[in-house]
Amino acid sequence: MSEYNDKIKEISARLLKECQVDMVIGFRKGSMPMMNEPCFINNAEDAAQLVWDSNCGINLANYLTNRKEKIGIIAKGCDSRNIVTHIIENKISREQLYIIGVPCQGMIDKHKINAMFEGEIQDVAENGQKITVTIDGKENALEKADVLQKNCAVCIHRNPVIFDEMVAEPVEEQKDVDRYADVREIEAMTSEEKWNTFEELLSPCIRCYACKNACPLCYCPTCFVDESKPQWVGKGQDPTDVRTFHFLRAFHCGGRCTDCGACERACPVGINMRVFTKKLEKDSFEQFGWEAGLTLDERPPLDTYRPDDPDDFIR
Amino acid sequence: MTLVKIDKKQWAQGLEALQKAYRLFGPAQEKDYYSFKSLDTGEQPDLGFTNSRLSPKALLFPQSDTIIEFSLDENDEDHHIMKPVEKDNSPQAVLGVRPCDAKAVTLVNLNFDTPEYQDPYWVKALEATTFVGLACDEPRSTCFCTSTGCGPYNEEGLDVLLIDGEDHFLAKLLTDKGQALAEAAGWNTPVGDAAEIESRKEAAEAKITSAVEMDNLKNQDLMELHNASFWEDIAFACLNCGTCTYTCPTCWCFDLQDEVHGKSGTRMKNWDSCMFPLFTVHTTGHNPRGTKTQRVRQRFMHKLKYFVDKYDTGIMCVGCGRCVSQCPVNIDIRKVCNLMNSYNAAEVACAVNE
Amino acid sequence: MGIEPDRIHYSWISSAESTKFVEVVKEVTEKVKALGPNQHFAKHEAKVA
Repeated sequence: MSEYNDKIKEISARLLKECQVDMVIGFRKGSMPMMNEPCFINNAEDAAQLVWDSNCGINLANYLTNRKEKIGIIAKGCDSRNIVTHIIENKISREQLYIIGVPCQGMIDKHKINAMFEGEIQDVAENGQKITVTIDGKENALEKADVLQKNCAVCIHRNPVIFDEMVAEPVEEQKDVDRYADVREIEAMTSEEKWNTFEELLSPCIRCYACKNACPLCYCPTCFVDESKPQWVGKGQDPTDVRTFHFLRAFHCGGRCTDCGACERACPVGINMRVFTKKLEKDSFEQFGWEAGLTLDERPPLDTYRPDDPDDFIR
Repeated sequence: MTLVKIDKKQWAQGLEALQKAYRLFGPAQEKDYYSFKSLDTGEQPDLGFTNSRLSPKALLFPQSDTIIEFSLDENDEDHHIMKPVEKDNSPQAVLGVRPCDAKAVTLVNLNFDTPEYQDPYWVKALEATTFVGLACDEPRSTCFCTSTGCGPYNEEGLDVLLIDGEDHFLAKLLTDKGQALAEAAGWNTPVGDAAEIESRKEAAEAKITSAVEMDNLKNQDLMELHNASFWEDIAFACLNCGTCTYTCPTCWCFDLQDEVHGKSGTRMKNWDSCMFPLFTVHTTGHNPRGTKTQRVRQRFMHKLKYFVDKYDTGIMCVGCGRCVSQCPVNIDIRKVCNLMNSYNAAEVACAVNE
Repeated sequence: MGIEPDRIHYSWISSAESTKFVEVVKEVTEKVKALGPNQHFAKHEAKVA
């Protein structure tokens, strides 16, 4: 990781010094273990603040929406796919961006690591594939592969799909991963079982909207949950309203979601809401052969029409 | 103040007696975090927690609370008349409240119970509640209560303070409500010597290593802070989610919503958050706090400046550390508080001119 | 989503296909009647505190 760090700082400082960009969007060291803070840097001296490690799970494409500046952005695989989606959806233009690509080796799951230990975690350090968690001054060794964010464990696009400059050689992509085991499990359930599973899944939700706000796809000027003329969904804690919010949010991501995992990472109560978006991602792939954000040259399946569309669900 | 000793062997028995006189609430583990919930008969509060994910403010001020009912059916005699919903305000006791959360109740009370206006739902619920606190011997690294005018053994807002001592609890009975609760529980073994508590308290306070500076906030010029140069940098990462405000034990904002089903309807009080655009949007569509930076500034200015100026009781933060540890993008109120406390507009202006 | 599959039906019917329209509506009505009233995603009075 240290070579990534040096390179990120070097490129960012250069871009700012040469006035190629007005700002660089990246991460700075957080004040808590397993947390980094998204930030912008607008002068070359401050580029030294930028960091990269396994705690950069927030998707930085989220910070590009409707910006007017010329921006350098640090992008791992999923961020780059959401940048592509942002460009396709006219939320930013390619010309405004200088994409600093980071071959990603996966982010670690802070919810999982926190839940693994009794006491409070003082420090989490990493060295290659080894993670060291310090609690009460005592070190615990973990394998990074065992504590990856769930979306990272099944990721098949770790390398940026679009970039102007890479900070390192591409990493090997994961092969033979079963991306949809959890979705198949739910698909196999009866309607009643599904209903109960989702009820249990969503019961801790406090409707803070961290999931939708961490999502780079959720950029509507007024979200449907905030509409009042008409009001689409009740604003209280009634389970029907909570569920309506989650389902509609997921449907809005159909054919657009890159499974970056920012929603789950952001959730303060640890809801695995990725099962909803993954189902739609799986359907997009199986029915349209579509994976979001891989290319600037094709329209997403839900905003285009092809005469050879199978349509076999319509009778 | 009376000090009594409760043998842990008699703890369950005491709770059983309390169940008869109070509705009991206490911390319980759910999945990988703790929350306050109603305790069934025989159920014990799980006191092995550092702090709950959400604060116990929800017991007095639920996230969604139906406050008024009405009928729209003109055949009903009292149609279109708003009728308050009867709440169960029989005595309730909350066990295992952390001192920071209890102090937070006193801060929220400044807003909901004023000489001019009272929120009847809050006031009645508070009246019905006895808070049994649990002194905090193992604070977290994100706790900074000692610098916010609170502390791990702070007594404000509590009726009883329990101090955990291996095979017993020491209970400080701080109010009449606390005395009554101890009587109902049969906790009456007096202890004379409180020296142990003092040393335990000092040891707990010494474990709190995190702090904020707030001494200068009152002297700061409000408009200078409002126009300070750091807001954009602070706010950049913010997602404008409600995690900080919903987990905060002192945030008191709510929204009213009417919901109608067929010919009957209810009015609900729902938690609201200054982080949401809808919080301030006008019916015209204009939003005076239309940008993320303005909303983030509002949250911190309210807690750390407007509140300080208005009430003169320190900041609207008890240092529980929930927003610090749960913010998805690591916006840290400790850093912001220190920035606001030490901000020097003249110096910043000079630096720009140089 | 936890909604019975028979409760939802997609169809493409041209304005000229009146017979198909009648058939589909009859079929859907029968299926939904067989399921009975919808219990899920049917909000009555808000279930909150």
